[in-house]
Amino acid sequence: MEQIGLYLGCNIPLKNPDIEQSFRKIFPALDVQPVDLEGAGCCPAWGTAPSFDLNTWCAISSRNITIAEEKNVDIMTGCNSCFGVLSEAKHFLETPATRTAVNNSLAKINREYKGTSDIYHVAHVLHKKIGLTKIRENLKYKLDGLKIAVQTGCHTLWPSDVYKVKEDNPYFPTMLKELCEVTGATVCHYSRLEGCCGMGGMRSTDAEKSLKLFKEKLLSIKEETNADMIVTTCSSCFMQFDMSQPILKGRGVIDFEPIPTFYYTQLLALAMGFDPQQVACISQIDRNPIIAEIQSDTRRIKEGM
Amino acid sequence: MIIDQNKIDETIKIIKANGGHGIQKCVQCGACSAICPGVKAGFPLLCRALIKDLLNGLLEENIENSSSWGCQACNRCTEVCPQGVRPQEVVFAFRRYQANELAFSTSAVTSQMNLYETGHAVFTDPKEARRKVGLPEETPTSAFNEAAQQEIRTLMDNSPMGELGLF
Repeated sequence: MEQIGLYLGCNIPLKNPDIEQSFRKIFPALDVQPVDLEGAGCCPAWGTAPSFDLNTWCAISSRNITIAEEKNVDIMTGCNSCFGVLSEAKHFLETPATRTAVNNSLAKINREYKGTSDIYHVAHVLHKKIGLTKIRENLKYKLDGLKIAVQTGCHTLWPSDVYKVKEDNPYFPTMLKELCEVTGATVCHYSRLEGCCGMGGMRSTDAEKSLKLFKEKLLSIKEETNADMIVTTCSSCFMQFDMSQPILKGRGVIDFEPIPTFYYTQLLALAMGFDPQQVACISQIDRNPIIAEIQSDTRRIKEGM
Repeated sequence: MIIDQNKIDETIKIIKANGGHGIQKCVQCGACSAICPGVKAGFPLLCRALIKDLLNGLLEENIENSSSWGCQACNRCTEVCPQGVRPQEVVFAFRRYQANELAFSTSAVTSQMNLYETGHAVFTDPKEARRKVGLPEETPTSAFNEAAQQEIRTLMDNSPMGELGLF
């Protein structure tokens, strides 16, 4: 079975371990074995070392990457920010002066960056390595008739020149759409598809500005798709959609019920028949009704069909 | 506004030293600002407007402006820039100038301390949540790995961040 280094980051293992559990359930079932990167830390997040010093950023990122290099595996991240930060660091480390300076820092902790491990996002591994056909073959429930609005998130899209896997058009991403459609669900287009959800540095710097951006995106989804659920491949977007819809509802800014939101592998794990108590049980918005619908007997795919 | 060439030269030197290498390629077309979520949300000093001020030598004058911290680092600007400026790198170069002068919100200090102590910028005790979903209570990450934490501390102690007294 092909192995890949599972880079967890911070939010997924510490705040939303049901997302981590969904990785650990679906990938072995799809013949990819996630390997733990023991001792890996923060990528580091944009608001930390990248905001202070470029070489410190690259040193902390490359420390994480060397853990994968030692195991001769590539890296798979579930968090878009981690994907962006690690990919950009790898890009900067192509510059000889940066690589020398960073390796001088790493020498103090007996490490050396070699550049032998590539950085992938969970969505890339699913779409490009495993493929839609194999995913389809492993489904236990079909999601026909359910409507999904997708949110890819910023940091797998731009800047496309630093990423190992690119969308054909980053302003019109299709990978997540196709990953959702393979379940049988309908993915509806909406005009703010590529818009930022407002999480990240903006949320901590000015929550009201962040919510203003979020509201515009959310209304576009509601009014143009009336989706049953929102599905994202970014853990930060997941947190924004799950946390901020109830805030807007509580303020009376929106007059509809918050739309249940899933990280993509949670949806896939449910469609593959895994236990919702393990793979999709931590959220502010009540997801129980839609989970019951996804795993209802009428949707079960009969063996041999 | 009085244009002072010495101030311009000094500003460009500082921005380039902090990673904003493409700043002088900017022709002020505004493609970056047209697509920037931060500009859309109402932060006044990002992308084209910030680069304009910096190219005019206005550095210290903007040190307290928090706009740069609203940058999502999404790099839509980098993708659309026809000149190869990589505006996000200029915004972050300006943010690094601010950070090294300690001109940022105190709320940003917590994540530096978390990173230094646990190796995670965001840290909450995960044990109960992990047990609930059927995972080992301790993550395989630096959070429960003293040797890994020490490595990260060594990297931070020996960096310019180590001189700021944040952790």
